[in-house]
Amino acid sequence: MPLSTQGYRISEAKMMTETGEITIRTDEKYRRKSPFVDLWKHLKRNKLAVTGLAIVTVFIIVAIFAPVLAPYDPYKQDLTIRLLPPGSPGHLLGTDEYGRDMLSRLIYGARLSLLVGFSSVGFGLAFGVILGLLAGYYSTLDSIIMRIVDILLAFPGVLLALAIVSALGPGIANVIIAVGVWSIPTISRVVRGTVLYIKEMDYIAAAKALGETDFMILFKEILPNCVSSIVVYATMRLATAILSAATLSFLGLGAQPPAAEWGAMASTGRNYIFQAPYLTLLPGFAIILVVFGFNSLGDGLRDALDPNLKNAL
Amino acid sequence: MKKSLLIMLILVLTLSFTMTACSSGSQTNNQQAQTGETEKAQEVPQEVTYVSMTDAVGLSPILTNDSASSNVIREIYETLFMRDPKTGEIKPLLAESYENPDDNTWIIKLKQNIKFQDGTPFTSEAVKYTFEKIMDPKTASPRASLLKSVSSIETPDDYTVVIHTKEPYGIMLTALAHDNLSIVNPKADQNGDINKNPVGAGTGPYKFVEWVPGDHITLEKNPDYWQGAPKLDKVTFKVVPEMATAVSMLETGEADFLVGVPPEQLDRLKNNPDIDVIEMQGNPTRYLGFNFEKKPFDNLKVRQAISYAINRDAYIATLNGLGYKSRGIIGPKLFGYNEEIEQHGYDYDPEKAKQLLAEAGYPNGFKTTLTVGNTDVYMKMAPFIQAQLKEIGIDVELNVMDWASFLSYCKAGNQELCLNGWMNVTGDGEELLYPQFHSSNIGASNYSRYNKPDMDAMIMKTRVTVDQNQRYNYIREANIALTDDVAWIPMFNDVVTLAHRKNVKGITFESNGEFRLNDAYKE
Repeated sequence: MPLSTQGYRISEAKMMTETGEITIRTDEKYRRKSPFVDLWKHLKRNKLAVTGLAIVTVFIIVAIFAPVLAPYDPYKQDLTIRLLPPGSPGHLLGTDEYGRDMLSRLIYGARLSLLVGFSSVGFGLAFGVILGLLAGYYSTLDSIIMRIVDILLAFPGVLLALAIVSALGPGIANVIIAVGVWSIPTISRVVRGTVLYIKEMDYIAAAKALGETDFMILFKEILPNCVSSIVVYATMRLATAILSAATLSFLGLGAQPPAAEWGAMASTGRNYIFQAPYLTLLPGFAIILVVFGFNSLGDGLRDALDPNLKNAL
Repeated sequence: MKKSLLIMLILVLTLSFTMTACSSGSQTNNQQAQTGETEKAQEVPQEVTYVSMTDAVGLSPILTNDSASSNVIREIYETLFMRDPKTGEIKPLLAESYENPDDNTWIIKLKQNIKFQDGTPFTSEAVKYTFEKIMDPKTASPRASLLKSVSSIETPDDYTVVIHTKEPYGIMLTALAHDNLSIVNPKADQNGDINKNPVGAGTGPYKFVEWVPGDHITLEKNPDYWQGAPKLDKVTFKVVPEMATAVSMLETGEADFLVGVPPEQLDRLKNNPDIDVIEMQGNPTRYLGFNFEKKPFDNLKVRQAISYAINRDAYIATLNGLGYKSRGIIGPKLFGYNEEIEQHGYDYDPEKAKQLLAEAGYPNGFKTTLTVGNTDVYMKMAPFIQAQLKEIGIDVELNVMDWASFLSYCKAGNQELCLNGWMNVTGDGEELLYPQFHSSNIGASNYSRYNKPDMDAMIMKTRVTVDQNQRYNYIREANIALTDDVAWIPMFNDVVTLAHRKNVKGITFESNGEFRLNDAYKE
């Protein structure tokens, strides 16, 4: 173990025992080193997390630069070169039932997955964080919000998303809403738990004594302290969101043809499973890889940011 | 949160299992079959399972008009006449004989001693009841068109029906052979909803047992069937929305037969030593339909442009021999077809398409929706048409829905473009012209909402003319007129297929893709 880290440990230990003056000083020293440097130090010791980070980085780069990276237009059909197997000249991963280039479709699929993942988690966060803050802070609202959350939690996740999509109709936008709504209850629970813990701390009492408004306390004092648990949770939630969006598309409720969406691609590929199994397997592997990436990164972040969360989640 | 990882793992495992299960499944089944043969050679359970991708919409011939429903209806109910599957001739079934004292009167003698499945005797009263119910506008029967020419029905005695028509009705017998004019037991219809629970409702070889919507329909042998009890004890119509699953079920012996083998599974089934595939050039036709009440599809140039934009030959080449081309609306297997129609229609020419679109006032194309029923044959065609139309600037959004919703959606005229098919039950071109293009069937089977007085008059001639040569010419002319007008875009005609396990014998299969199980048995 590098000495410097040990050094931190000691100073942290001292922090607990010595006077407030010193505590503040160590704290500042700690902060000046930047949380990211520290986070990276923790993270890089975790091989799985580094793998996850690498996968996620590649995935995001592929998604952003899809038009540059894709060798062909993913929607260009050519019925004369249908179902070419992977490794065919000019088509590294083969072609699908309409002669569309599989590699290009997979690359563009990363875009859709990224879009659905980030926007649905963003949607879930927007509502979940606010609900969680309110429920945690105001005990009167707590029981109302949490009972509603309990009702939502009573539905198995995919079922809830299915019900929402069935009501709204198929389509990517509705999948984003459905997966987002499904994320709200869990996010608000996580946030509420953290808020309940933080609001009992002395500095909140101090802020109240100084006459800060509830709004200020919630968003300036409490929220920043929830960020680490939210980041950890959101990262893992991305994996779930991408997977459920693919599930919904696989069931025909998400992306509509001809969208290059991994779940939808795996679904249409099933008709050719005996003839061209790669049509289903390739998008399947892409989903596995990305979900694995986000999950391991999330695990690593959790260990690095807040060891206490390990048991909470 | 390891959950999602776990789900993924399960997904992968299931996938690999399904792939291995197919090969190992058929092996175990072979073993079972072998041990079965040695132990009890004669006692093969007389039960067959048919798998279909779509569930029946209903089980009353009066209220339905789709092949999934008709397949079941054909086993429960019977018609007065039927078309001989081999010769194509019309022969009496529940009827004994008929005569025409004049062009507007049909006297039909019924067979005696036939009973409905609940024991009620089959009499002329049932015929009158069924036909009058179909003709009653309140019933809103989708195939009321079959009896539109009928003015009144009389029953002078229990076994005689006299049908009077408003004008000569040249295709009366083919109409009476149509599944949707199957005779219904009035008692059963009055006592319950035979569309859901047709107990004792027909005279056919199989009786209704149960229907679990979305899963299966079970029929059992009618031991008192008037032509002698069938050999099969039980027939199950199973709904398997997934064709690949249906094919695996056939391979493992879980299912005994299916119709409409998809092109991508054909070779696999043909190479299976336990399975026979029957292939036949059929009459079902698949088309891209317009809604003539919606702009811009009322514009001939737009329809022509769309027709020029679609490369049908390239699409048919992907069907592995399970489709063949005809440029007319009435295909080669129907009465009224003439080869000259192949000089009409439009070949693939995207430049011409763009030019026509510009002439029609849409130089930059337009946006539209293509409504598709969630069935493999159309789901495969939809992205192809979407891509082809994009080439000429038409931006197509797909509107996918389940089959039953699709039919009611199009019946109500909500669609812009749609993919549909027409299977001709009677084998007569008139049975396509009248239901699909006569204005009186708008809101029922005229999904295109085609409404042209000239065409109405021409179609009426094909119905009232009793001279068959003249009728042939009228249908021929109507075919040319509709093809030139791009009333719909014929995509391809089906080569109909039935794949069955070799130990299932005696299924009657017709070029319209229909089957009958009267003589079927299992070895």
